[in-house]
Amino acid sequence: MKRTLLIARREYFAYTKTVGFWLSLLAFPLFAVLGGAIPILIRTTEPVRAVALVEDGPQATGLAAFVRNALESETARRAAVAMEATEKAAEATGVPPTTGAAQGAVASLSRTRIRFVDTPGDIASTTGADRDAAVRRALDDEVAGQNAVDAVVFLTRDTEGRPEARVWSARASDDTVEDYIRDTLRSANRRTVFEAAGIDPAVVTATESFRPKVTVFSPSSASGGEVSFRDKLPAVIGLAGGFLLWSLIITGASILLNSVMEEKSNKILEVLLSSASATEILAGKVLGVALLTITVMVAWGGIGAAGLIAAAPEQAANVGHILMQDGLLAYFAIFMLGGYLMYAVLFAAIGAFCETPRDAQTLMGPIMMILVIPIMTMTLALESPDAPVIRILSLVPLFTPFLMMARLPADPPLIEVIGAMAGMFGFALLMVWLSGRAFRAGALSDVKLSWKSFMGAIRGNR
Amino acid sequence: MTAALTLDGVSKRYRDFQAVSDLSFSVPRGSICGFLGPNGAGKTSTLRMILGLQGATSGKIDILGANDGRKVRDRIGFLPEERGLYKKMTPVEAIAYLGSLKGLASAEGRRRARAMLEQQGLAAAQNKKMKELSKGMAEKVQLIASVVHGPEFVILDEPFSGLDPVNQQGLETMIRGLAANGATVLFSTHVMQHAERLCDSVVLLARGRKAFEGSVEEAKSTAPRFLELEGEIDTALVSALPGVSSVEILADDRGVRTLKASLAPGAGGQEALKAAFLTGIDVRRFALKEPTLHDAFIGLTGDHPDQDQSVKATAVEAAR
Repeated sequence: MKRTLLIARREYFAYTKTVGFWLSLLAFPLFAVLGGAIPILIRTTEPVRAVALVEDGPQATGLAAFVRNALESETARRAAVAMEATEKAAEATGVPPTTGAAQGAVASLSRTRIRFVDTPGDIASTTGADRDAAVRRALDDEVAGQNAVDAVVFLTRDTEGRPEARVWSARASDDTVEDYIRDTLRSANRRTVFEAAGIDPAVVTATESFRPKVTVFSPSSASGGEVSFRDKLPAVIGLAGGFLLWSLIITGASILLNSVMEEKSNKILEVLLSSASATEILAGKVLGVALLTITVMVAWGGIGAAGLIAAAPEQAANVGHILMQDGLLAYFAIFMLGGYLMYAVLFAAIGAFCETPRDAQTLMGPIMMILVIPIMTMTLALESPDAPVIRILSLVPLFTPFLMMARLPADPPLIEVIGAMAGMFGFALLMVWLSGRAFRAGALSDVKLSWKSFMGAIRGNR
Repeated sequence: MTAALTLDGVSKRYRDFQAVSDLSFSVPRGSICGFLGPNGAGKTSTLRMILGLQGATSGKIDILGANDGRKVRDRIGFLPEERGLYKKMTPVEAIAYLGSLKGLASAEGRRRARAMLEQQGLAAAQNKKMKELSKGMAEKVQLIASVVHGPEFVILDEPFSGLDPVNQQGLETMIRGLAANGATVLFSTHVMQHAERLCDSVVLLARGRKAFEGSVEEAKSTAPRFLELEGEIDTALVSALPGVSSVEILADDRGVRTLKASLAPGAGGQEALKAAFLTGIDVRRFALKEPTLHDAFIGLTGDHPDQDQSVKATAVEAAR
């Protein structure tokens, strides 16, 4: 036991004493914040397209004005949607919508990506091939002073009076203007059709801008009636817990794989084996990296909790209540233990046969492919936790820690939860036994790793 | 003198490959024993069985009174053939850590590490990272790490490999020091000169089988003495000299040859030399030489100690 603890301590401090460990520890929350901020950043810094409108023929009269007015209406509609979203977010987080951040979010979300400019003279005054040449010149970025226009839209009507358009865009892959014009002309056509049917345009406008209020009720909500964000929170936490477990377990197991590979390549394993048993070495390394993983978890949890308490204290209290009261934290710890044991000992045993990551590829490739399955199915567990495929996969020991964690907030049958946990721990013990044999054989072997040699090591005797 | 180690009919088989066959020998307490044989002769397999890292297919091993090396691992020091330490650790940290795994208190391990490093002329390197040390320095650190806990039995697998002559000399001194302090030392090597200088006893191993066990002198006495002759000499004439059992050409420089004329048991060499001068053989230089351990090994096993016998072993390992 003393040797196990000594090995665990060395393993733990070998990583925590390095600057790289703390940098990578802080990198995850930093990138998580960046990941959330990048779409808003892109939106706020995206250039606004300068669009010139040309009514192509007398039949198109009025279309340009309609398109211009529609942009103003669209801007107002976006602002309303953004404000509604901000109010919902305020309800969920407790942050009032009048704060600078909330107003900034409204401004960025309601910002339009198009502005209209005057049509260049040589386009307005020419026709046919000359006009096409003038358009090309106007859209050519490389001609100095000519990049003021990003798109030129020719509006017209077909023989039945339906609006249509030809859009010239500076970039062939940019469909921003195309999408906007398509939507606007669809509205223009709808309005024309309604007016032809004798319906007042004001009625059409009011109808189109109507946003119904929908309230959801459920007997499983906390109040037994109306569903609030608080009622949806457990499912979100379960899903986040599943992803966090996946990330922590695979990170921990990968650290262990690399650590054993390093000792193998540096010829340290044989020295260790003369001082401690293979079981003590494996247990010490698994324990040391487990402590490392717990350190990471506590650091991430602390940063997350501090951020949440600062930004949304009311929801932070809700999250804490759900984690403690609904037992999600205890389940998280149980799944962390079982999942880590399963994967850590397997990765360590593989590492005992390898001196470089390339050596490990033979076995790690299929294992990583299997590990993609819970990632692909976890989001499905949020919407359909009782879908047969999710239920079956959550009972597969290798997937139980992630999928059962995601399913838990939906109150799956207790027998399934207990059965899945029993299967997970049974499989973990089997893995400990099998991997222990493979680790002992691999540590002293020069044999190249393959499924055949790995299985042979598991079957073989000391 | 009681035995610190006894092997009795020990064999090791890897599927179709017999690595060690019916090996029996013992090492007296406080002695230095050389475990000699070419690469692939079964030395490392035997050492691993002694340490309990691998089980024997058959036979019994008794080390320091235990039937399994793992039961007395804290009383054993081991230097493996392929060596390495944690590159980011300092020598003091590495030595103290490995000592602590053998039951030595961490503070005492550090104190001993500093003292032993200083003794080996490595005082200036004790706070450098292992990766910054030369190979010779790292080898010394590793040897210190294997004996810092004061083991009763020290097993060194090819300790001289990769060392320059100066460091080899230093290592020989360290090994003598271990024995002088009462430890039993068993070291494997395929370089006979080291064993000849260091060992109280030797065990010669070839193709997994013991070829000899005894003192260095006893081993050498199994090989014939020989005459080394130089000149424009016809080998057939030398073969015909009285007492000469065989002739080997050691060098041939445009007709001027150096011959090794092995003498039959009991032959003194003087008669052969007298006959050579009387028959007018062009002997420009001669010397009567005692056999070396190298000669004894060849005579006892029929193999050359530098010959690699690991080809088959590697192939079998790869097929496992």
